[in-house]
Amino acid sequence: MSVQDHRYHRPAPGVDLQGRLSPFWRWLSETVWRLEHGFERARADARPEEDTRVRIFLILIVFSCVFGALAVGASYKALFAEANGRGLGVNPNALVRGDLTDRNGELLATNIVHYGLYIDPAQIWDRDLAYRQLRRAVPRISSERLKRVLASDRRLIALSGLTPQEKAAVHDLALGGVTFEPEDRRAYPLGTSAVHLIGDADTGGRGVSGAELAFNDEIRAAGQRGESFPLSIDLRVQGVLENELAAAAIKAQAKGAVGIVTDVQTGEVLGMASWPTFNSADRNAAPDGATLNRAVSGHYEMGSVFKTFTVAAGLDTGRADMNTLFDASQAFQIGDRKIKDFHAQNRVMTLEEVYLHSSNIGTSQLAVQMGPDTMRDYFRRLGLLDASTIELKESAKPVVPRRWDNSTLASLSFGYGIMITPAQMVQAMGALTNGGRMIPLSLRKGGARGAQPQQVVTEETSRTILDLLRRNVVKGSGGFADAAGLRVGGKTGSANKLVNGRYDPSHALGSFAAVFPVDGPLNGKRYAILIVMDEPGAYPKTGAYVAAPAVKNIADRIAGFLGVERREDRWRTATGEKVPEYQDVAGDGL
Amino acid sequence: MTTAPFFTYSRTALQRLFDWKVRGVRWIEIIGVALVAIMIVSVYAAKAAAARESSRIAQLEQDIRENGQRVRLLRAEVARLEQPARLEALSRQIGMAPVDVHRQAKEAQLTELKPVPAPASTAATTPAVAPAAAPAIAEDAASAPEPAQ
Repeated sequence: MSVQDHRYHRPAPGVDLQGRLSPFWRWLSETVWRLEHGFERARADARPEEDTRVRIFLILIVFSCVFGALAVGASYKALFAEANGRGLGVNPNALVRGDLTDRNGELLATNIVHYGLYIDPAQIWDRDLAYRQLRRAVPRISSERLKRVLASDRRLIALSGLTPQEKAAVHDLALGGVTFEPEDRRAYPLGTSAVHLIGDADTGGRGVSGAELAFNDEIRAAGQRGESFPLSIDLRVQGVLENELAAAAIKAQAKGAVGIVTDVQTGEVLGMASWPTFNSADRNAAPDGATLNRAVSGHYEMGSVFKTFTVAAGLDTGRADMNTLFDASQAFQIGDRKIKDFHAQNRVMTLEEVYLHSSNIGTSQLAVQMGPDTMRDYFRRLGLLDASTIELKESAKPVVPRRWDNSTLASLSFGYGIMITPAQMVQAMGALTNGGRMIPLSLRKGGARGAQPQQVVTEETSRTILDLLRRNVVKGSGGFADAAGLRVGGKTGSANKLVNGRYDPSHALGSFAAVFPVDGPLNGKRYAILIVMDEPGAYPKTGAYVAAPAVKNIADRIAGFLGVERREDRWRTATGEKVPEYQDVAGDGL
Repeated sequence: MTTAPFFTYSRTALQRLFDWKVRGVRWIEIIGVALVAIMIVSVYAAKAAAARESSRIAQLEQDIRENGQRVRLLRAEVARLEQPARLEALSRQIGMAPVDVHRQAKEAQLTELKPVPAPASTAATTPAVAPAAAPAIAEDAASAPEPAQ
């Protein structure tokens, strides 16, 4: 038997864990020892009251601080809780995706609660009767599926996505064992209207195409705030554009058609239509190729509308002015290739005449004179070598030439050898007609965010192009586009398509790129309209016949919505008659 | 040390006050217990009221959500009924078409417009004739036959 002071630690055999902790244990035991004997020490020092009071006072302060902090916190939470039911949960108006509207707040897409139809056959008295009644109430329900659900021994879903009307019809049957579960679904009430532009969202609430995909994050964020997301389009303009485009395409027996209306000053797309169209609710029934948004994904050799770009480059570089002469008396020879005119004049022509008579020879000569570097530079500036900057993810890159030799330059000058999308075309036309500023196309109300317009041609060039476009409508090939009093300017385009390595006249493309009104200040209100008819079946197939009349009808009908007043200019009265006092005796157009 | 007696007195008074007992219980403790009881009751009342309010808010929010869904449903129905292609097809079915440019007038031209014909004895039976003639402007109307007086 040994005598040992119990305050001293004896290390255990084996792992010396306690040995490592011994300094801590020692400190702890000493502290407790000191505290426990504090009273005794204080009494020994003859100041027992002081010691107790200090302790009580300290504890009082600690508890007071803790309770004070709790009281302040509780009061703050009670008095300054955020309004709008934040403390109770989420915004009652919150949605997975915000409503999509046009620029005036007209509804394009919304979230509607649909219902899943669940059936528990064990609770159904007469299954044959239930089958007949359900089929009558919701004809689209699959017969096999319904039979299988009714024959099973447990609760199963018979149909998802019941509309509220269908739900009411089933509910009215008062069948036992039939229940509904809500599902939030995206609904597109416009049916076929603006279907390519709006796009689609999946059942998980994510955009998969069109504006739904392009602005996915912003639409979802707007939904969380219980707000709508406005697009730049004007539903009235969109409606007119679609109706007139469809009418023109049917009349021309075209394979496809595209129409775009934009504000050239802001780059906002006011209407964008691709024909044929389809119903987003029944995508499987869409005609062949109808789901393609030709406006941003279709590639076309645009033809003579490109002469506007060639002439603009010529004017802007100072290589030519309106009176520069071009010899179109005979075909323009480049190597083995002979370039001829469709409407051959066989004479020397000024640049204006080259444009008004749509002379391939004249523009080819101008392009060859400017050379590949200048042409490439201007095409790049006008956005013809890159995909359109519109937000749609479907926006396709153009097909551009690899070699820029003289023959290619000649082809490019009148719209062959390069395949661009209609969106690129209308974007470039906007830059040439708004004072020379390249403004990105946008489906966002108010235009592209943070866009820095680039000056691509001078204001003088822009003014001259506006004048040329108007003259082309009054005196050139665009006569059918002259909407009364709206001062429409534009350029026709007609091209043959490449079929099996050859340009086939039976597969044509007719287009018309227009702006209105052409007069007024360069930064004044002005709108661009582009109509493209893909493979018209009926003759004549040129842009002047298949596309220009549609432009006239569209401008006529949308001018009121856009606030463009009918007014006379030097050639036409406000109601479209020729100005009688104007006699172009000299033939100089002045 | 002239102030010492005052402090001594006041301290004694305070001590007496603190030590004052009612039926063997310090009055200050009674007050403390009473205050705690009042606080418990008031906190309970406040919490009960808050619970009532929050359930009412939840109910209102549910109503808002349901009404919002109905509003969205109705807006979607309106949008479907007002879709441009449908309206145009309906308009053309009843013989309507875009107004000819010669039959359009600005506000400033109102004074030049042909006045609405005075109702003749026969006009009473065919009132639809009068509004149809109204938009024609004066120049066009000059060659038109005079309305029956």
